[in-house]
Amino acid sequence: MINAISGAVADIRKGLGMSGVWVALAHEDVGDAHRRTLLGPAWLLINYLLFAGTFVVIFDDGRTPGFPAYVAVGLLVWLFISDGVSQGIVLFQREQSFIQGTVLPLSIYILRMTMQLVIRAGYALAGCAMILLFFHVMPSVGWLWSILGVMIVLVMMPGLMIICAVAGTVFPDLQFIVGNLIRLGVFLTPVFWVPATAVGLHKIFYHWNPFTYFLEVVRIPIMYGIFPERAFVIAIAATAVTWLTALMLLGIYRKKIVFLL
Amino acid sequence: MTSLRAHDLRLVYKLPRKLSLALRDRRVADGGSSVGGRTAGNTVVALDGVSFDLEAGDRLGLVGTNGAGKTSLLKLLYGIFEPSGGRIERSGRVDALFNIQLGFRPEATGRRNIVLRGLINGWPRAEIDRRMDEIIAFSELGDFIDAPFKSYSQGMAARLAFAIATSFEPEILLMDEWIGAGDPAFQERARQRMEELVAQAGIIVLASHQHSLLKRTCNKILELESGTIKYFGPSAAYFEAQSKP
Repeated sequence: MINAISGAVADIRKGLGMSGVWVALAHEDVGDAHRRTLLGPAWLLINYLLFAGTFVVIFDDGRTPGFPAYVAVGLLVWLFISDGVSQGIVLFQREQSFIQGTVLPLSIYILRMTMQLVIRAGYALAGCAMILLFFHVMPSVGWLWSILGVMIVLVMMPGLMIICAVAGTVFPDLQFIVGNLIRLGVFLTPVFWVPATAVGLHKIFYHWNPFTYFLEVVRIPIMYGIFPERAFVIAIAATAVTWLTALMLLGIYRKKIVFLL
Repeated sequence: MTSLRAHDLRLVYKLPRKLSLALRDRRVADGGSSVGGRTAGNTVVALDGVSFDLEAGDRLGLVGTNGAGKTSLLKLLYGIFEPSGGRIERSGRVDALFNIQLGFRPEATGRRNIVLRGLINGWPRAEIDRRMDEIIAFSELGDFIDAPFKSYSQGMAARLAFAIATSFEPEILLMDEWIGAGDPAFQERARQRMEELVAQAGIIVLASHQHSLLKRTCNKILELESGTIKYFGPSAAYFEAQSKP
């Protein structure tokens, strides 16, 4: 197992060293997706604003102070994670010709997708900032904790995508199972509902859904200007478990993936 | 000194019996497609006991029926597959041309594709910029270099791929079949470029079914049959034996 993990670490180290490749390819990916459109990647901003606006209009019952900011930040993090999971599950299958035709490390594809998610999230972040400004949510020192929260999400995401990419290659049906879970996930994760008003299953999911804490480490400092200690501890622990699992899976399957595609 | 040595290479793998909830489609194999060799149960012996030595200046032609193991051997030599047994000793910078479309972005221009392809091959950006004009000149694409790649014909794509792959003077160049692409004039230029590579103490390994191309290009032939070596030696002797009734 030690050999497998050190192989995975070497793969990731090699991938990180080829930043020119995954940064360039990620920019091409985002550009290609909107090349024929009039507004280009601005659609990412528009989509986010439409999504967040719909949630705010439909679910704001006036009982939660700062509800628009709550939804705006929660949705920003949730879309980043859910996009990563749904794209990650088919990642190696989509990169089949590259994997079977080049000697690039597998981590290149993970880093390329992470970079793509970050670029897309950049447009959503602009939309989030617009909503916060519109509702007069002004920056405070407490927001600095939120930056730490964002860093944790960014560190966790490539690990989660490695798990998804390997699992999706070994068990292709997973893409449909995960697709359905992601659709449900927006209701089972506190994106637009608040724990204070949660009852029954919602209350259970608030505590036992690990994604809750990745949303809270970014959102609570912005909403209330405080350091959510419990959310940080759980998010960091979940990130460590995610990466340990990712390294084991990448180490075990790194040389087998090419035959599984 | 450039060299490529294979010692008792063996490639064995299990056909992927993927975990799936779908009913098994008995019309198709469980998995694996491009590699042949012998199968026992769901295990494929794609290559077995393959050994050869190539020195600077050698041009090896790989021949064999479909599924004999040519592509598997090329992928082993390049490093995409890891051998199940035996070892490979490579001395020299290796590049490969297996799939000419690989890495090309249909929406990006030829010029941008040169940059991307170079980065994928691990070349420094400054070196790519320095070689840009030479690549464009060799590809003979002219003003098309600033048109989207998707507007290129197959021959134009092949010319660009070949120009990029050979511009950095790989010491060991592995090619699978496609070299026949392009018009006769380009094929002649490609042959000249390969001659230059060999003259610069390079090694070329070319898998092809076109015996006329191999006869013109290669000085050694390795024939594979069910993943094992049927012949390895001078090309002249091989083609002479082939021409006998």
